[in-house]
Amino acid sequence: MNHKILLGILILLFPVFLTGCWSSHEVNTLAIAVCIGIDKTENGYLVTEQVINPKAIASKRATNESPVVLYTAEGQSIGEIVQSLTTQSPRRIYHSHLRLVIFGEEVAKDGIQDIIDYFAREREYRTDFYFAVAKGTTAKEVLSILTPLESIPGISMYSSLETSESFWAPTKSIKIIELINLITADGKNLVLPGIEISGGTVTPNSTDILHQNNKLKKPKYTGLGIFKKDKLIGWLNEDESKGYNYITGNVKKTVGNIYYDNKVKITVDVANVKSDMEAYLVNDKPAIAINIDMTGKIKTAVGPLDVSKEENKNIINKLSEDRVKYFCDKAIAKVRKEFKSDIFGFGEAIHREYPELWDKIKDNWNDEMVDLPVNITVKSKLTQLGQIATPLFLKEK
Amino acid sequence: MYNYISKVIRYLKANRTSNKTNNINRNDIVLLPDLARNLAKLTDHLSSINNIISQYINLYIMINKKNDPSELLSDIENLTQQVISKEINENITKVRIAFGHSSDLTIRYSSFNDNKNIVYACLYIASLVDRSMINNLSLELIKLDHQCQDATNGINVDQLTSYFSRLTDLKQSSDYETIYNNLLSGNTVFLINGYSNFFIVATTSYVGRSVEEPTSQTVIRGPKEGFTEKLINNIFLIRKRIKSKDLRVENLTIGSVTQTRVSIMYLHKTAMDEIVQEIRARLSKIKIDGLLESGYIEELIKDDRYSIFPTFLSSEKPDSVAAALLEGKVAILVDGTPYVLTAPALMVEFLQASEDYYHHFIISSMIRFTRFISFFLTLLVPAVYVAVTSFHQEIIPTSLLISIASQREGVPFPGLFEAFTMEFTFEILREAGIRMPRAIGPAISIVGALVIGQAAVEAGIISAAMVIVVSITAISSFAVPNYEMSNAIRAIRFVLMFLAGILGLYGVFMGLIILTLHLCKIKSLGIPYMTPIAPKIKGGNRDTIFRFPLWKLKLKPSGFHGTDRGIEQRYPISSNQQK
Repeated sequence: MNHKILLGILILLFPVFLTGCWSSHEVNTLAIAVCIGIDKTENGYLVTEQVINPKAIASKRATNESPVVLYTAEGQSIGEIVQSLTTQSPRRIYHSHLRLVIFGEEVAKDGIQDIIDYFAREREYRTDFYFAVAKGTTAKEVLSILTPLESIPGISMYSSLETSESFWAPTKSIKIIELINLITADGKNLVLPGIEISGGTVTPNSTDILHQNNKLKKPKYTGLGIFKKDKLIGWLNEDESKGYNYITGNVKKTVGNIYYDNKVKITVDVANVKSDMEAYLVNDKPAIAINIDMTGKIKTAVGPLDVSKEENKNIINKLSEDRVKYFCDKAIAKVRKEFKSDIFGFGEAIHREYPELWDKIKDNWNDEMVDLPVNITVKSKLTQLGQIATPLFLKEK
Repeated sequence: MYNYISKVIRYLKANRTSNKTNNINRNDIVLLPDLARNLAKLTDHLSSINNIISQYINLYIMINKKNDPSELLSDIENLTQQVISKEINENITKVRIAFGHSSDLTIRYSSFNDNKNIVYACLYIASLVDRSMINNLSLELIKLDHQCQDATNGINVDQLTSYFSRLTDLKQSSDYETIYNNLLSGNTVFLINGYSNFFIVATTSYVGRSVEEPTSQTVIRGPKEGFTEKLINNIFLIRKRIKSKDLRVENLTIGSVTQTRVSIMYLHKTAMDEIVQEIRARLSKIKIDGLLESGYIEELIKDDRYSIFPTFLSSEKPDSVAAALLEGKVAILVDGTPYVLTAPALMVEFLQASEDYYHHFIISSMIRFTRFISFFLTLLVPAVYVAVTSFHQEIIPTSLLISIASQREGVPFPGLFEAFTMEFTFEILREAGIRMPRAIGPAISIVGALVIGQAAVEAGIISAAMVIVVSITAISSFAVPNYEMSNAIRAIRFVLMFLAGILGLYGVFMGLIILTLHLCKIKSLGIPYMTPIAPKIKGGNRDTIFRFPLWKLKLKPSGFHGTDRGIEQRYPISSNQQK
């Protein structure tokens, strides 16, 4: 009896071992991809994968090896190309730690639908990587730049996007779920941060060149790319991108300059931005009200204005409100005039308030949007003056 | 012995009937030499070696000839309870033969001062007695004279008894078995010619370790006394702490050859009667020739014999045993070992230390929590590391993965093999560290640190992360206060490591589920091992992972207790705290 039970247990146990470790793959059999660049070619796509070279990153051994390896291949579809990269790479390319997908400008203009399907469907991709569009260049160019401080360029660009979003405002990080939602949404269109190669004269494509620090070209985020459905149709500059982020409430912290009397220049640190978009009806026509609340603190104050005085604070508040309003107006004006793409989500606000009305107007929305009345109210509150109250060189009257 | 023989006779009786039908049972064939062997043992007590064979033959004939087996039984009964004879020389010869002329069996002949006809002898085993007590006894015996004689120059028993009762503990008996037992316990047997009783004088030597600080359970705060190998000392150390008439001690002897003394201690009314009875019953069932350590008892009377988890808490510290007794547990003390068992023992107790109650409750809770964490670290770190690095790289944060990848660059082995080699090497080092002579200690640590730590990593055979994993596992395993529990987890972690290597985290969780089921299944003396977590005892969880302040601990954490809960006595509530 006991033997039979034992036999039964063994029979149940052995299949466990028979499977071996079929899905096991050691870390050192993987090529960890951090960045994928997708460009357009005549035949289809050119995929560039930036793969980490762990040997070069090991902290103890100083090597001249490049911290990343680029693999490029051409083909009809992304899935196919990625698989075909194994003919070049000794290791399986592993995508779970992908940080950034960069579309070449051409690809973005052509539409990114087919590509997105691959990233959404394939099991290996997590949902926490960001997207960007290479502005005025190809993704391959962007990926071939090495970065000095963070040795893996993919991670450098990823971190830079995150930090600039929280401290500088004109960028926006978008992950795959939000991206798909925006493409498929009715009343809101997609924007993606643009990345360009800026500064310097030397393209750092090997570690030796990285020593010539001040001449290097660097990847840099610049403004937002406007999409209509899945196609790139134009770019916002930094101010307009800031306006976009104010309207959509995507500003966490930023800095702005205000001028008073031509002599006074005050830099204000903006924080706690809350944006509230509401639709209402004027003569049975939809209109949008945007309320932006924010707090500011003074970063620098130069010129003959005593910022510690209460009445002057009001002046500063008023000026910063105007400034933000100016950004917003500029962004809205540009989008309406040039692109006719509702990236701000006005349509969504109307849809929420007046579903029936929305059903009537949604088919032609991108054109109707041009005449939509938009009211922007900004409320700013100066909360801190910094470590000193009055400007240091303010002359006594 | 007696039981055995009556069993034999029952067999013979049955045999007789079956013999008639010429059906010889297989059992009988086995039984007869067995019987012979035992009877030979008996005859040892009876007569000289020369006689053994003839006695054996006689008995054999007796067995075969006697018509009524019960007659034989009474014969054998008489033989075993053989009373000593009046002739001193005969007695001494028998004792000598019984001890096989052992050279430390000492016999001192002497006679009364004023009557050389009354010869007496002192028998003792030189290696077991206290020399000074023997000397005292001899001095006393010189004074033996006519006072102890009666009118006919015989012995005045009353006088003699009162004379001896002035000396140490005195017993009087008349059979050989008692002589042997007492000689073997280090007592002196006092025989007088012409008198069929003998006296026993307690002269046992108490040579042994004095009370020292326990080596396996050191404390920072709290009593530093530890148990010793002497049973009597250990009982003293507990009694000293619990001055209650309810503290009961029961003695018994286990081990057919070693005759080891074992004591059960418990607090009457505080301990559950059922548990005390259960322990008594289980101990009485033990059949073993030698009992050298309390571990034997643990293994023999455990509820789930095959479970790797200890269900008896062994402790070297009298204060923790006293605390266990106050919680209604039963202590089992074995002569010859400083490790005292307390039972029932619950899972959580193996992660608690007596010191927890001596420090501030917040500090204690923190330390206890650390211990629980390290319990899981020991169990899981290597398994999770193997699973994550060879199956689930996606759950490692990117920067950590890059760091691990750069360390693993050039490492020739898969994660499982690497982990297993390193953990096994550590086990070797650990075992070597325990067994080796103390003087070689530094050598081992140098080799261990250099070989495992540095050289293996620098040679690129082992990744640095693996060394960290092994170290954290090793250190955590030492944070588990109970050595048996720490051994159990160390063994299980290898199983989990293999599961991780084969099935990834899926395997680890399967292993954990099986482990949890097992822990919930096993019992300690009928009390579920996971009490008070599962089954949940209301209020019992106040003293498991965290220790609530003493005035909040109104219920005994274990959830079992006798009729008298003794809670108020245990945690006195002062008047200002009551409000």
